[in-house]
Amino acid sequence: MPHASEHRVVGLKRISGGSSRETYAFELEWIEGGEKRRRPMIGRRDPTGGLLKSDREREFKVIDAMHRAGLKVPEPLFLELDASVMDRPFFIMERAAGQTGMGAFPAAEAESTRIKVAEDFISELVRLQSLDYREYGLEILGAPKNLEEPARIQTAHWNGLYESDRMGEHYPILTAAFAWLKANPVVSDRIVIVHGDYRSGNYLYDENGIIAMLDWEMAHLGDPMEDLGWASMLFWGRDEFAGGLLEREEFYHLYEDKSGHPIDRKRLFFYQVLGNAKMAVICLTGIRDFVERRTSDAVMPFLELLLPQLLGDLASQLRLV
Amino acid sequence: MLRPTLNELISGMQRTIIEALMPELTSPYAQNQAISAIGMLTHAAAVLDAAPAYDAAEIKDLRATFGAIKRLGDKHLSKKSGLRGALARATRASVRTPPERRALEAAMAEFATAVALGRADERVARHIRGYIGRHLERSRILLGGTLPSA
Repeated sequence: MPHASEHRVVGLKRISGGSSRETYAFELEWIEGGEKRRRPMIGRRDPTGGLLKSDREREFKVIDAMHRAGLKVPEPLFLELDASVMDRPFFIMERAAGQTGMGAFPAAEAESTRIKVAEDFISELVRLQSLDYREYGLEILGAPKNLEEPARIQTAHWNGLYESDRMGEHYPILTAAFAWLKANPVVSDRIVIVHGDYRSGNYLYDENGIIAMLDWEMAHLGDPMEDLGWASMLFWGRDEFAGGLLEREEFYHLYEDKSGHPIDRKRLFFYQVLGNAKMAVICLTGIRDFVERRTSDAVMPFLELLLPQLLGDLASQLRLV
Repeated sequence: MLRPTLNELISGMQRTIIEALMPELTSPYAQNQAISAIGMLTHAAAVLDAAPAYDAAEIKDLRATFGAIKRLGDKHLSKKSGLRGALARATRASVRTPPERRALEAAMAEFATAVALGRADERVARHIRGYIGRHLERSRILLGGTLPSA
């Protein structure tokens, strides 16, 4: 803001959600061209510990690219990597309006809202997958060398975290899941930008649909079925409603209609297995960071309560029950 | 008996948070954390009561499952599956006092992997599936809950 002066932070308060970063809401006031300006902002600071180990510069660049591409994301404004300014690196973005939930789209919402959100949810995913990552400087996300790599890279990444974060415990179903993923790798049909956490609960919405997709810290390059598999996992759904938005088959058909790409059910299934395993590992990472005192977030120990459902879903998928 | 008991202490901590701390908290984030801490204490009280029985049931079931597989005989464990070694390790862990839970679970992970990959004999797989079903049911009973709103 080269022509701005007298910046003032008003009403700073920490807010819940976005457990991979400390998140703060505030109003920024400043003088520009002799006029007083005011804008609602969100500050995201690196945590001391938590669910994910991710790079804030990378996240900022991804949101910036998505904003330039015209996707529904908050406008990213400032990135500060110098930890001496606020103890840890942080970035600031526009505070978008709207509401969010933790998981499945709320059953209590009006049907018209649900349909609009579902349409936007699929449309935004299709738009994301249609972008050329090179055009937006997102080679920094690490392009897979061939179409076989995405499945192998993701499996190896989450299996590695499982091994480091299980604290010496054995989770037979999870061990079996990673062995199955290694033994049954799938081959992508193209390389796209993957959000990495594309699901209900990670968007702001109102009665007109989605306002902004949030939480881009796990973005990478990979298989388009990865986000679709993650978004349609039973875990984020409600009964037969994928993400609480649409009946699962309707959800898939809408994606096929909008993208023009038929869904490869084998690849979709692979990424749903990977998704359950990944979410279970995210829980183990949060529990480990709580146990080893890297975070005091009181939500972390409750992640243990999510494991029976995730492991139960995996056991069903792998015919272990 | 020492008073207050552990459960009475936990209940007291919850009251302290609700009655003394929460009225002083103005930040919604801090209030949410306090609510989560109360939930954590509720969970701790439940686990304190139920965890010993859960652990005992797990170990008993693992030993019984491996015992049943052993009784099937080696012909149901092909050499190339590597399951004979896993069964030997499980058998050794079973007879230790106390039984080595982690070693039993490590052996179960090898068997579950073989079942998932279709490399286990069907009679062995039936025992493994039976254990996993019971294990999941016990876990749901012990932990069956959801995240506190935050």
